[in-house]
Amino acid sequence: MMAAMTVKTVVDDIADGGAGIKVFTLVDPDRWELPPFKPGAHIDVHLANGLIRTYSLCNDPTDNKRYVLAVKREADGRGGSIYLHDEIKRGGVIGVSLPRGGVPLPSHLTGFAFIAGGIGVTPFLSVAAHLRRIGRNDFVLHVISRGPPPLADMLAPLLQSGHVVIHDTWAGPRPDIVQLVGRPLADALIACCGPVSMIDAFEQASCDWPAVHVHVERFVAPPLPVDPQARAYVLALARSGQEIAVAAGESMLLDVPASCCGGICGACKVEWLQGEPVHRDRALSPAERERSLLVCVAGSASERLVLDL
Amino acid sequence: MPLRPKLAMLYERERNNAMLDIVTPESDAAASMWSGVVRHLHITPRAFLPMREMRELTLVAGKGIEGDRYMVGREEGFYSPKPEEGRQITLFEFETLIALKRDHDIDLGVDEHRRNVTTVGVPLTHLVGKQFWLGETLLEATRLSIPCRHIEEITGKSIFDPLINRSGLNCKILQGGIVRVGDVVRSMQ
Repeated sequence: MMAAMTVKTVVDDIADGGAGIKVFTLVDPDRWELPPFKPGAHIDVHLANGLIRTYSLCNDPTDNKRYVLAVKREADGRGGSIYLHDEIKRGGVIGVSLPRGGVPLPSHLTGFAFIAGGIGVTPFLSVAAHLRRIGRNDFVLHVISRGPPPLADMLAPLLQSGHVVIHDTWAGPRPDIVQLVGRPLADALIACCGPVSMIDAFEQASCDWPAVHVHVERFVAPPLPVDPQARAYVLALARSGQEIAVAAGESMLLDVPASCCGGICGACKVEWLQGEPVHRDRALSPAERERSLLVCVAGSASERLVLDL
Repeated sequence: MPLRPKLAMLYERERNNAMLDIVTPESDAAASMWSGVVRHLHITPRAFLPMREMRELTLVAGKGIEGDRYMVGREEGFYSPKPEEGRQITLFEFETLIALKRDHDIDLGVDEHRRNVTTVGVPLTHLVGKQFWLGETLLEATRLSIPCRHIEEITGKSIFDPLINRSGLNCKILQGGIVRVGDVVRSMQ
């Protein structure tokens, strides 16, 4: 298996974020700088029980030796937040992915409005820290919460500076998303992160806005290789008798040593026996391709591809 | 065709080329009298982490660079599961960074190519199989470095293709010592 390697981190601190939230601070074991991230980016957290969960980074990207995550314990969730809350202790080791995504903040825009539902505030904490550091004060963060807002300590400086509006739906009416979004502006950006229903309402309310000025923060999967011709197929291993279903565009998940992962070094060359491989490599000669393929980039044009493994 | 007969054929053709009569052993020797300079030094302790610029590096013969992810005994690099002597130290031409900008409009920083030593004026691609001095240390080049998708993932820049055949040099350390920015890199000839 070409297993995903992860960035090794250590849990340096676990703080109470209120409202069933824990704030985890992850650092490199040697306090080295961590891979950089953009304001509002997120990472995958690889847990020892095999679960992989995605969380936004809450800290300023220039705070480059820490990843700060706020995790709400979802008792009815799929188990990731429960594991983090109940099993992860200070000093524990956690593998994480490289940071992905982020909220686009073009410098020519003159205003930013962010709408967050509950724990959906996390990416905007990072964005707000970034904007304040670069001297941009032309933003407002609407936090919609049932009861007191989450992460009160992290929100406090933004409340003090007048950048945050709290909408407590227990104490008052639910705000009108249409009103928060407002009329389309050519020089402003609006962004939303929260429950699906809120994102749906936001997308509807912002449909008249220029698309480049609207951002919805979703936890997107890493981009797959783009190949419109790719198809799903069954990989059969002749020697072991194993059969593996390979989804369209996915690489062969085989226990073969790979190196460049781009089809030039030849480290993952294997022989194929039946089927119609799609090679995509730049290393094998036409004669070699008659018998071999490179696992890291090859696909299949036939429904079934048999390898000599 | 195996490499050696191929090379032998190439040399034979060279010998038969009358235009090359002007090439003498002395002129060939002069052509290999290059020297260059260490422009930047970088290490990182683990896969994926940013490279950190250093003023000097400590090279240990047969092992690697102190503090780097491929140092024997540490082995926390992306390719550590595939150990080879040539991972002890890696070099990269500063000129390639200029070419990337010139030919592909790609700005690649000296800390982004993820090799340990950035050189100026050193024909790295000519040195495979040869020994050369890096400051007070002696290296032997084992192979050309190969670009990998891993570096695109880290940098977010499409540099795999432009770096084919100029992605640097893998070397083993024959004689250790301290290497500093500004040190001379010179051939053994």
